[in-house]
Amino acid sequence: MIFRAVEDTDLISRVRRGDIEAFNLLVSRWEKRVFNYLLRLTGSPDDALDLSQDSFLKAYQSIRKLDDPARFGPWLYRIAHNEAYSHFRKRRPETAAEGVDVAEREAAPGFPMDLSLAVTAALDRLNPDQREAVVLKVYEGFKFDEMAEVLGCPVSTIKSRLYTALDLLKTELAPINTRGTR
Amino acid sequence: MSTCHRIDDLRDYAFDELAAESRDSLEQHLAGCPDCTAELDRLRMTTAALRMLTDREIPQRIAFVSDKIFEPSPVRRWMEGFWNSGARLGFASACVLAAAIVVSAYHRPAVNSVAPASVQTAMAAPDLSRQIDAAVAKAAAQIRDQVHDEDARILKAALEDSERKHDQERRALMVAVGENLDFMQKRLNTITVLASNDVGVRP
Repeated sequence: MIFRAVEDTDLISRVRRGDIEAFNLLVSRWEKRVFNYLLRLTGSPDDALDLSQDSFLKAYQSIRKLDDPARFGPWLYRIAHNEAYSHFRKRRPETAAEGVDVAEREAAPGFPMDLSLAVTAALDRLNPDQREAVVLKVYEGFKFDEMAEVLGCPVSTIKSRLYTALDLLKTELAPINTRGTR
Repeated sequence: MSTCHRIDDLRDYAFDELAAESRDSLEQHLAGCPDCTAELDRLRMTTAALRMLTDREIPQRIAFVSDKIFEPSPVRRWMEGFWNSGARLGFASACVLAAAIVVSAYHRPAVNSVAPASVQTAMAAPDLSRQIDAAVAKAAAQIRDQVHDEDARILKAALEDSERKHDQERRALMVAVGENLDFMQKRLNTITVLASNDVGVRP
């Protein structure tokens, strides 16, 4: 992780000196993670792809405003988060960030359909803030201070959302947990 | 859910975010607290279940500057290569200069007179000289007039000043003469009075 951060920092310095190819390397390094983050927020691969594209474009346009290149990850996710919420507001203002129905989501490849759908359904029953906290912590592996940077709220709020979500998920996923332990 | 007072520490511990100084004490606590141990197991199983949803492959690469659609067209690449070459740039500059000369010559107004321009210039020289002389003479006359006017103005001012001073001096002299006359008159009166007294006293 340390080496990764150093490499990102070097790439960012090169981008700031006008090296476009360095930014393409950053894109290839982060595109899958950003896409999956946005996919878990929106539930739509098409929307996630479009939003990823927009996020990287904005990142490129404003990379000189990044104060600490070592915090590129949280900064990039902050842009993606803003793009997603902007998209939610445009799409359906009254139910922004509600996501899509479980039926609209596709099961993850490589896993039994019922388990995958059960996890997806459990996530969908969370409110958007709780779901995003789970996504950033469990799937993206951010630290609490990084999550606070992405979401623009205090660590205490992040922890409250995450732990409330996990209490709900424990109940929702209890049958899977039982099955997994057999 | 565990109701143990260390539940918050336990959750931070599950996500490897508990401060190092609290880890040892929590691990000791876990050894003697079945509720917290069970809660930690549940948390870990829940996160493991969540991680069943693995990341998907991105359907297509994010289009960006290095992608084909952003690459410059062959014409643009040729143009960039051309302009980046010093020899070609020099050649292009020479071509542009030659073209400019040709265009300039083509659009130049036709000469009506048969005589060459230098002859025309030579013939026009006396007229020009005369015009210059006339202009110089006119300017000199104007300057002379201006100097004359200025001299007249200065002389007039000096005369007026002199007359004013002379008048003041004449007035001062008249006052002085008048005062002297008054003084002489007083002296004469005094002498007359003294003389009449001397005559009256004598027997």
